[in-house]
Amino acid sequence: MIEHIGPQLFNGLVLGAFYAIVALGLSLIMNLTGTINMAHGSFMTLAGYLAFTMVSRGTSFWFALIAAPLIAVIVGVIVERTLVRPLYKREPFYSLLMTFGLSLMAEEIYRLIWGPNGVPFSPPHALDGAASLGFMVFPTFRIFIVVVLIVAIVALALFLTRTRFGLRLRAAVQDSEMIAALGTNTQVLYAVNFGLGIFLAGIAGVLAAGMLGLSPTSGNNLLMPAFVTVIIGGMGSLFGSIVGGLLIGIAISLTTLFIPAASEVSMYILMAVVLMVRPRGLFGEEGIFG
Amino acid sequence: MSRPRLNRGSFVKLAGAGSAAAVFGIPAYIPQIGEAADAIKIGLLEPYTGVYAGPAENETRGFEMAADAWNKRGGIMGRKIELVKEDEQNDVGVAAQKARKLVNQDKVAALVGTVSSGVSLSVAGVANTLGTLFMDSGGHSDDVTGKNCHWNVFRTCHSTWMETHATGYALAKRFGKRWFLITPDYAYGHSLETGFKDVLAHNGGSIVGNELTPLGTTDFSSYLTKIDAAKPDLVLVLVQGDDYTNCLKQMNQFGLLKKYPVGGPQVELEPLYGLSPEARQGYWGIEWYYKSEKTLGKGNAVAHKFVADTIKRYGKPPTARNAFGYITLDRLAQAMNDAKSLDPVKVARAIENVHFTSIFAGSGYYRKEDHQLMWPMWVAKIRPDGTPGDKLDLFDVTDVNAAEAVEQTIAEKEKVCKLGYP
Repeated sequence: MIEHIGPQLFNGLVLGAFYAIVALGLSLIMNLTGTINMAHGSFMTLAGYLAFTMVSRGTSFWFALIAAPLIAVIVGVIVERTLVRPLYKREPFYSLLMTFGLSLMAEEIYRLIWGPNGVPFSPPHALDGAASLGFMVFPTFRIFIVVVLIVAIVALALFLTRTRFGLRLRAAVQDSEMIAALGTNTQVLYAVNFGLGIFLAGIAGVLAAGMLGLSPTSGNNLLMPAFVTVIIGGMGSLFGSIVGGLLIGIAISLTTLFIPAASEVSMYILMAVVLMVRPRGLFGEEGIFG
Repeated sequence: MSRPRLNRGSFVKLAGAGSAAAVFGIPAYIPQIGEAADAIKIGLLEPYTGVYAGPAENETRGFEMAADAWNKRGGIMGRKIELVKEDEQNDVGVAAQKARKLVNQDKVAALVGTVSSGVSLSVAGVANTLGTLFMDSGGHSDDVTGKNCHWNVFRTCHSTWMETHATGYALAKRFGKRWFLITPDYAYGHSLETGFKDVLAHNGGSIVGNELTPLGTTDFSSYLTKIDAAKPDLVLVLVQGDDYTNCLKQMNQFGLLKKYPVGGPQVELEPLYGLSPEARQGYWGIEWYYKSEKTLGKGNAVAHKFVADTIKRYGKPPTARNAFGYITLDRLAQAMNDAKSLDPVKVARAIENVHFTSIFAGSGYYRKEDHQLMWPMWVAKIRPDGTPGDKLDLFDVTDVNAAEAVEQTIAEKEKVCKLGYP
């Protein structure tokens, strides 16, 4: 039993990194506008299907990995401008219901376009095998996923801390009225921020399609762990989302080792414990949403 | 600009309720309203939304083909068949409620459909209290025609006992008797597990690992990393649908398909089409196949016409699910016609033990003692790339099992199943 713990821990970290990137996108959108984006999973699925369509028509996987999320971003920005923006001034559950409705519609639309059954989408041959890590054999594609996620997280951190735009974004999270009064066009901020969140979802969607199956429901299946990640990590904290994701990944993996049937429940137990001990979440800033 | 603030408490509530609804589905299907007043309505319950939407669509196509064939011939006792469809969302509670609605409000003459075993059992229970016929086209759990059997419930697809016994002995002979099971953690999976344990008890094999995975598991990696330590002769994959696709895809990426033989009690074309060729491997039980003489029967004109008509009408070849739908409604209509009545007891009696030929090889009958359709069960080796002429011709049928050889005997069934006719 003990000798399995190492591989399971590693596997859990990889899985957790994946939840983290989905949660990051959710957090970005939520922090700035208070929108709980229930359609986040649908954007993941959309990017997955777009990549599938591109690759099956002969485009390279590498092009699709960037292009599919970008197209999802265009759709996302249109959705933000036309459907979500008018609801910013209302109670949060208006935009929640709106995006939830969108996710249901999206699922049916994907079913109409790509059919109700899963479609085959495989990573390129260079990434398709498994590599020996010494203590375990691990799929090359999962190692690649970790690399992409680290790059994405570092790029996001640099963008938010080292660019003027990132500075304005963070300022707007603190006080959007003041930023608007100082002459920044907050509408543009909101749109770009939403697009950024969707881009992360898109990347995660293409990677998920290569790692898991791709069907109309596949994105929504990943949404629940992402929400739990945000709650554990703490609302308002992007760093919290990363830690939360890793914790959930490890919890699921280790539970599988000892009580396999309880693996899905473990993240909710973890969430309950965190909420009892530290109601704001591990790194949540009390008052930001306040 | 000011906006309402979101606090943590309401976020947890909102996100929780919202994602639960997203996961478990929400009503998304509008039933068709009947046109002809004198038509015989049949209530069709299928999980049109959610993970089993693919199989649901195909079963529905089978039902439509049978309904159209009967209507073209003038219908049942001169009355047309009208299918009233409801989305049961793969949810036992929703299914029970929709079943009641179909019987009480739409006044259907019988209920048909379902994919997941849990839902089949739920509908069977409701149908029994309402005294309505229910023909389970696609839920496989033994209990439907076993300890939860009812006089008004019939089942078309194979029982899990048939699946495990048709494949268990064949796989043990080919690969060995130390098995690693990846089992879905609900009625269907547990029922399969029981069947395989019975096979192993008879041939002296053992289970070296049994991973119970929740329905809808997306990431199987934590389970898969345990296979290497167990060193099984064979990995048996019992999960179905999207879970099957996810599991096999990840087994391939973990390099397990190259190390261990893989197989299972049943595989369907729907999830196989969602896999790339490298991940299509192994020996599996199959319940029907559109492209083999062994499953269709040599020179069986009815079967070949069914295949051709399905392709013509829907642009896709039929799967076993299409066959379940077709056989179910065709036999129900035949029984109503034979009984010259819609009275559930009379119709049930007219279904029992009537031997018939249909779109499969040989003949079949719904056994009087448990209402299980007794028809052959096949085993196939997967051809990852199909045949040169047809990339999707995936099954090379290797074994044919007579129903009586792989299902529990009447004596065994009578110990657990009491039909309880009124």
